Amino acid sequence: MTATVRKKHFSLAKSRRLIQWLVVIGTFIIGLRHILPGEASRGGSFDSFCAFGGIETLLPYLFTGHTLKSTNLLNFSVLLGTLGVALVAGRAFCGWLCPLGAVQDFVTEWTRKLLGEKRHVRGRRSKIILPLRLPASLDRPLRYAKYLTLAVILVASLSMVFPPLREFCLVRAVFSLKMTSLLWFTLVVFLAGSILVERFWCKYFCPLGATLAIFNKISPVRLIMENNHCNNCGRCDIECSMDIADVPHHLDHPECVRCMECLNTCAREGSLELKIG
Amino acid sequence: MKIHPRYYPAIIIAAYVIFLLIGILLGFGPKEGGEGHGRGAFLPCLCLTLEVPA
Ligand code: SF4
Ligand code: SF4
Repeated sequence: MTATVRKKHFSLAKSRRLIQWLVVIGTFIIGLRHILPGEASRGGSFDSFCAFGGIETLLPYLFTGHTLKSTNLLNFSVLLGTLGVALVAGRAFCGWLCPLGAVQDFVTEWTRKLLGEKRHVRGRRSKIILPLRLPASLDRPLRYAKYLTLAVILVASLSMVFPPLREFCLVRAVFSLKMTSLLWFTLVVFLAGSILVERFWCKYFCPLGATLAIFNKISPVRLIMENNHCNNCGRCDIECSMDIADVPHHLDHPECVRCMECLNTCAREGSLELKIG
Repeated sequence: MKIHPRYYPAIIIAAYVIFLLIGILLGFGPKEGGEGHGRGAFLPCLCLTLEVPA
């Protein structure tokens, strides 16, 4: 069977970047609204726009009928939107719609540029030393930390007044424009981590990513490897921001954020395809 | 069924908006006053409902 070179009429990478910029700008606007007086009277605080806030306040709401302070019922709708994306396309929220995911992608891109990479050539390993890939012995166990974070938050939420993650909330640290010393600390750790390791927060600690991971196994919109066109060139492995090894054989991996960079990078027509059902 | 990658962004945005609107239509919308809102404990209400026939 012969494979042809993929014809590209449309750049998924460009549309993803555009959507990520819109999400980041939108989240900054919510942050701006947060510093204006009378925010709560205009229908919800900064926290009430957060999908993970819906998870943090879910158990308290089910047991007491009240959401935790600083969250409200809107959190459940935002969470439902996020779960809707996951039901249809797995962790596509992480790859396309999450403001923190977007910021991490931007930081990686800017770091490479600052360190002298003039133009990133798709599918070719960069000579720039950052971002690092952690050794497997450290990377593997750390990937489970996000599930632990999720479990601790769910249990803690039952005895809290505010959402358990609030004081260290990354979205507040990056976007809320109302900083505390703890949030400054969080921001510095987040930026340093993102400079050192690509999608550092997503890979190791994000409890929302942990929640969405399971959907990669069941979502109908998915990537598949078809025919025997793949020649194991490894271009997709190089581009995968989540450092999934042997991408073509792990297309429903729970770590995959459905960013479609692998599909975009693959040069052989018909190797990777997007499929529904 | 294969889908053209060009439809992928539209699919995820549509899924997000549709499910968000379903949530809002179900009553999970922003509330005046902002925080710590409730409309009756779901689990206690469910337990009471299940107890009534008994
Ligand atoms: S893993 Fe968390 S921070 Fe990363 S993109 Fe997903 S939801 Fe956002
Ligand atoms: S496997 Fe492909 S879609 Fe998944 S995270 Fe890696 S590059 Fe993105």
